[in-house]
Amino acid sequence: MNRLLRRIIVPLALAAAVAVPPAFAAPTQNDPAAAKIVSGWESKLNVEGVDLSTLFTLVQKKTGETDRVLRFQTFRRDSTDMYTIIFQYPDSEKGKGYLRRGDDLYFYIPSTREFVYRNRKDNIGSTDARTDLFGRQNTLAQYFVTSAGTATVSKWECDVVRLDAKVPDVSYPVQKWYVRKSDGLPVKAENFSVSETILATFYYIDYKALGNGKFIFTKLLAVNNLEKGQQTFITNDNIAVAAIPDYTFTKAYLEEKSR
Amino acid sequence: MGFYLSIALKNVFRQKKRSFTLGINYAVVTFILVLLFAFSQGASQNITTNLVRSSAGHITISGSYTVAGRVYQGVRRYPDIAAEASAVFGKGVTVIPRYVVRSSLYYNGISKRLEFTGVDTHSDSGIQGQLRFLSGSWDAFLSADNAVVLPKDVATYFGFGLEDEVVIATRTRFGAFNTGTLKIKGIYETDNFFIQSLVLCRFPFLQTLDLAEADTASSLYLYFDDPKQLAQKRDALASALSGKGFEATKPADASAAVNAVSSASPSYEMDASGRDRIRLTLSTIDEAVGLVRTVTAAVNAIGALIALIMLFIIAISIFINLRMTINERLREIGTMRTIGVGAGGITSLFVFENVFLTLLFSLIGVAAALVVVGIFGFLVRLPFGGAVALFLDNGHLVLVPRISDIAVIVAVITGFSALFSFFPARYGGRIRPVEALTRVF
Repeated sequence: MNRLLRRIIVPLALAAAVAVPPAFAAPTQNDPAAAKIVSGWESKLNVEGVDLSTLFTLVQKKTGETDRVLRFQTFRRDSTDMYTIIFQYPDSEKGKGYLRRGDDLYFYIPSTREFVYRNRKDNIGSTDARTDLFGRQNTLAQYFVTSAGTATVSKWECDVVRLDAKVPDVSYPVQKWYVRKSDGLPVKAENFSVSETILATFYYIDYKALGNGKFIFTKLLAVNNLEKGQQTFITNDNIAVAAIPDYTFTKAYLEEKSR
Repeated sequence: MGFYLSIALKNVFRQKKRSFTLGINYAVVTFILVLLFAFSQGASQNITTNLVRSSAGHITISGSYTVAGRVYQGVRRYPDIAAEASAVFGKGVTVIPRYVVRSSLYYNGISKRLEFTGVDTHSDSGIQGQLRFLSGSWDAFLSADNAVVLPKDVATYFGFGLEDEVVIATRTRFGAFNTGTLKIKGIYETDNFFIQSLVLCRFPFLQTLDLAEADTASSLYLYFDDPKQLAQKRDALASALSGKGFEATKPADASAAVNAVSSASPSYEMDASGRDRIRLTLSTIDEAVGLVRTVTAAVNAIGALIALIMLFIIAISIFINLRMTINERLREIGTMRTIGVGAGGITSLFVFENVFLTLLFSLIGVAAALVVVGIFGFLVRLPFGGAVALFLDNGHLVLVPRISDIAVIVAVITGFSALFSFFPARYGGRIRPVEALTRVF
């Protein structure tokens, strides 16, 4: 087996890695059953019609290092695809923030009072959590989706949906989502590179119902598959659905809050 | 005049202790200044040479391009640019593409962010001569598309051995993550500061990893058989490239040149011009090392300031010393005046004495400095590691004393000595003969 591994599988894997398969050209259309599953969870997790403000706490664990804690306030308006994130803790991060308006994502650096244009899937504060976790999902616009069978995650029977990026402007061009058959909510997402090496796995541990069939995750574990032992635990508190002033989704608001 | 000169030269050795005490100051100042100028000249030359051997050309072309409003770092259509350079300069130019990716390397639970440099092994073999392989070889590097050669420090950090396979993961220029597997084919050390931290890969590997188009490079290095008049050459090439649809410019200042030479993907910017375009920055090596020259000029200025302070102290010594000498030699002055030597003659005599003293000890200082230059240049080998490697060539500290620098240093110190000995000498010349012969101290 070792010989087989060394002589056939490793060279094939290497060739695949070096050649970098054209992931963006893989499937060219959606599998209708998979698209239905995706639309199903997006209809539950995208909260059009209400403004959402929440307080996230991220605890990043690394082997041999003390835990790192980040806390930030988010303001989210899915109807116009906007959100604002403002760091509150620790002091070294305080005042930094993100503003997303449609496809544009800006990172605000208070020390230089600069807005830096970022990839919309930026990693927050060098953790394993990406900014797109906190906004509206638009999976079918960015990915072709296909069914990849079923699987059991923990005690739940799940449908597995594979996502292949249509455009390279996404963090993870290949993803596998595990969606609970019972309520249509995702419980696990595996994220792969272009060459299909697994990079990160997200476990959606718990959700809170917002009413009208809408949900938001309250506990999420992001595991870094490349750096063994590195993971980020995200919790979500102080969830409110009161109207948020328009001004909150502007650069001026981030500047004002950083002072 | 010849008479005064010969008397002045003899007088230098009349009071050996006093001459030595004053002269040693001239020697020390000259010694320091010669070494300082040799160091800054050597540093400037060495940095330029090492940069040209590693990560810059005589002209370096870097840039960005816009596709659908999104700006990407790198040089698009680089084969067209290389062809245009050949058309403008003929066979006297060699064009080398490089691809740079900053990325994390993962191995056995350890990771580190590194700069990976992709070399086109068909055209870019100059870097090979800079590497001293501790294990593996350049030929092994050529044997595999996913080969990598690493500096010793990186290999030690991860505990790598030859043929180990490591995962590289990078966020590509478009934003999507990509990964690849590298195979270690060599571990090296080098005394070239600019190569010390380079992880060398094959150009196509990094280009593919970054999902870049086949005609994209991070930068292009142009090497000329005759690397003179680089600014004019750059202007000629920029003009030719502009005619081919590129937006070719030169860096605004030295800092922009350094940024242009060290640019790498990824970067996420938007272009509001509404059209696809390729912008190029053409930097000459002189501009890229302009900051270094500014720093070395500042070092020279500080050295010169210290020398000026020392010279000021020496000036006071000259003044006191000469006044004492004049007082001790009043009878001699009186005798010379009575036999017809004018006030100007006496003044010249004392000034010449000091000028000879300065010249003699300055030359001793120069000789001592040249000996030190020789010792560091040929005998003493310093360890390669760290920032000190900036100033080393093959382990030897690069000191380049220039005749023009030495001549200026000696001339300035001599002139200074002449100036500050003139006033007490003039005082000596103005003493009337009768006073000189009758005053007793």
